[in-house]
Parts: sequence; C-alpha cells; structure tokens
Amino acid sequence: MPSLKDIKTQINSVGSTKKITSAMKMVAASKLRRSQEKAEAARPYSSRLEEMLSSLASSAASGEGIIKLLTGTGNDQNYIVVPVSADRGLCGGFNSSINRETFKLVKSLEGNGKKVQLMPVGKKSRDFFNRVMKDQIIESFVDLNVSSTGYESALNISNKLQELYFEGKFDKCILVFNKFKSAISQEVTQQQLIPLDVSNSEKEEEKENSSNAIYDYEPDEETILKDLLPKNVSIQIFKVLLESDAGEQGARMAAMDNATRNAGEMIDSLTLKYNRTRQAFITKELIEIISGAESI
Amino acid sequence: MATISFDLVSPENLIFNDDVGTIIVPGKDGDLGVLPGHSQVMSSLRPGRVMVYSEDKNLVKSFFVSGGFAEINPEKCIVLAESVVELNSLDKSSIEKEIEELGSKENKESEEQLSIAKAKLEAITVSFYDKI
Repeated sequence: MPSLKDIKTQINSVGSTKKITSAMKMVAASKLRRSQEKAEAARPYSSRLEEMLSSLASSAASGEGIIKLLTGTGNDQNYIVVPVSADRGLCGGFNSSINRETFKLVKSLEGNGKKVQLMPVGKKSRDFFNRVMKDQIIESFVDLNVSSTGYESALNISNKLQELYFEGKFDKCILVFNKFKSAISQEVTQQQLIPLDVSNSEKEEEKENSSNAIYDYEPDEETILKDLLPKNVSIQIFKVLLESDAGEQGARMAAMDNATRNAGEMIDSLTLKYNRTRQAFITKELIEIISGAESI
Repeated sequence: MATISFDLVSPENLIFNDDVGTIIVPGKDGDLGVLPGHSQVMSSLRPGRVMVYSEDKNLVKSFFVSGGFAEINPEKCIVLAESVVELNSLDKSSIEKEIEELGSKENKESEEQLSIAKAKLEAITVSFYDKI
C-alpha cells in the first residue's frame, strides 16, 4: 500500500505533466493556424501552375531531356519512395502511420520485383528507416522547418530528385505524406511525383480546352514546358511539405488535448485514492486509541 | 481607359492583386507591354523588372523577379515568379558584393545565382520604363 506521501508526489508529477501537455496543445494550436495560413497562401501559385501545365501537357507526346519528367523513362523498374514525416514526436500516430505505410509500399513493390530506394524527409522517418532499411536510403532531409524557411527547403529536395532522375537512378518517384483533411484528421496519401501523374490534370485540361481559346506561346510551347516541369516538381513538394506541416501541428494538438484530458482523469482518481488512504489511516488510528482506552 | 487585372504570385504568397493600366513583364525573348485587351499569351520570363502602371501611366510599383511565367488574356495578367522583391528595397552595394562572392565560386548553381544577381544590378541601375 503506497503511503500518503507517495500518492501526493504522484499527483504532483501528473499535475506538472498536465501543465506541459496543455501548454504544448496551445503552442500546436497557434502553429497550426500559421501553417494553415501558409498552405492557403501557397495555393494560388500551385493551382495556376497546374492549369498552365495541363494546357501544355498535351503538346508533349514524347521527348528527351526535361520532358521526361512528364513522359517518364519508359521503364518502371527502379522506384524512389519519399516518406514525409515530422522532425519531432509527441504527435500521436502521425509519424508511425507514415512509416508503416511506406514500409508496406516498399515491401509490396519489392514483392513485384522492383528495386526501391528511399529518401526520407523528417527526422522521424529517417531514424525509422535507418533501423530497418539502412542500405536503401540514398539521401535524407531533416530539420527543414518549412514554415520558416519556406520555398527554399522544397527546392533542395526537388533539385536532388531531379539530379538523380536525370542520372537515371530511378524511373518513378512516389511521395508518402499526411494529407491535411481537418485540424484533427490527417490521411496518409501516396502521390506519384515523377513522371507527372496527368490523370487528375486531364480533367482540368478538358475544362481548359472548352472554356479557353488558344494561347500564343512565347518563345514556344516546348521551352515553356521545359521551364515549367522542374518548377512543378518543386511546387508539388512544397505543397506536400506545407500540408504535412499543418497536419503535424493538427495531430500534435489532438494528441496533446487527449493527454491533457487523461492527465486530468488520472489526477482525479489519484486524489480519490489519496483521500481514501487518508481516511483509512485516520480510522485506523481511532480504532487503536479506542481499543487502547477500552483495555485500561 | 479600361483596366486589366494583375496578379503577381510567388510560391509563398500572393504579392500583388489589383486592377491596373499597364504592366511590363520581362519575357524570355524581350519585354512585353501588357495593356487591357491583350491577346492570349503564355510566356516564360527571364530575370528582370516587372513594372506596374496605373491607368494614367504613373508607375505604381516595380518588382524584380528571378524568372517565372506569365499568363496573359484580355482581362487578366498573371505572373508566377519564384522569387519576387520590390525594386526599391534592393541595395546596390550588397548586390555588388554578392556578385563578387559568386564570381569567385565555380559551379553550376553559383553561375545561375550570378546571372540573377547581375540582372538585379541591371534592374536597379537602368531607368527606362520609369516613365511611359
């Protein structure tokens, strides 16, 4: 049976944990708002770029060089998988769901006889894959702080990817990230980055063609496309980083909210236990006194 | 006189959004003057100045962009630029220093930065387009 002092210490320690978690919740909530604003602000650029790209995509049926970002290498033997996780923990299942999904994806690709390499983004996925698939990691990016460094961080990743792509190191690139659905829910999503997945932009293309007249291109379609494609890769990565950042804050907020509530419940039950023990102690003392008095 | 709506967008945010009289954008093959009712053009941009004028031809704002794209139709002009700075926030001496530093390095990346820095320097020294 724990002594009164033990229970008191426990209550105090749970109390201070509760203070920390509720503070972290507040911090996450304010960061979430900021991340959401950032993601919001980036939207006009990426949607415009996508529109431009979809109206151009049809003009490039095949080609060499940069156009390959759109048309692919013609192979699908070598994959590169980019899991996007957070740098920090304490955000519920945010990181582990990314790692689990990526692990499953890699195993299933390998089961089909493909060669898979990894390029983890974020400390949590780097550490995980360093443990389980160390030799498949070709590069990792940590401490990105996308909300403060902005577009630069995405540019680094995209440059590295394109460098590897044009060296022929891989044929397809798949991003695994948490899509921001709402402040409390994220959805693990896979997105094919290279070659560009035109299946969803095709729909827009039809819309574009029907509503808009033909553009003049300057200097010409191909040159624009060559400029546009690498930028599109970067902007897609940027978008994913921002979404993941917002998702992380949301997940942390939810996790910390839960933790605060649990700590509260724990304090309640401990206080009850404390009072009971105290009462039992008093009763015991009384019995001793009374029985002592009776025996005289 | 009519106006044309002009958006200047960077990956991080929407920088400029208003109805204006004239815009000059640095197209890859030469500068484009965009007036209301311009034909539909899609152009890629070189590093240079984006100048925005009001309806009565007064310079409203001037920006430096490090490249990007412009989409123009009769009612709207959209410039997508990777990095945008306001021209009068640029400092000549710091750019000259940057050029010097970059000039001493020799790799592909610094070459690209160098050409952007040089364009920046040119953008603040030249004065044509200040009045149209």
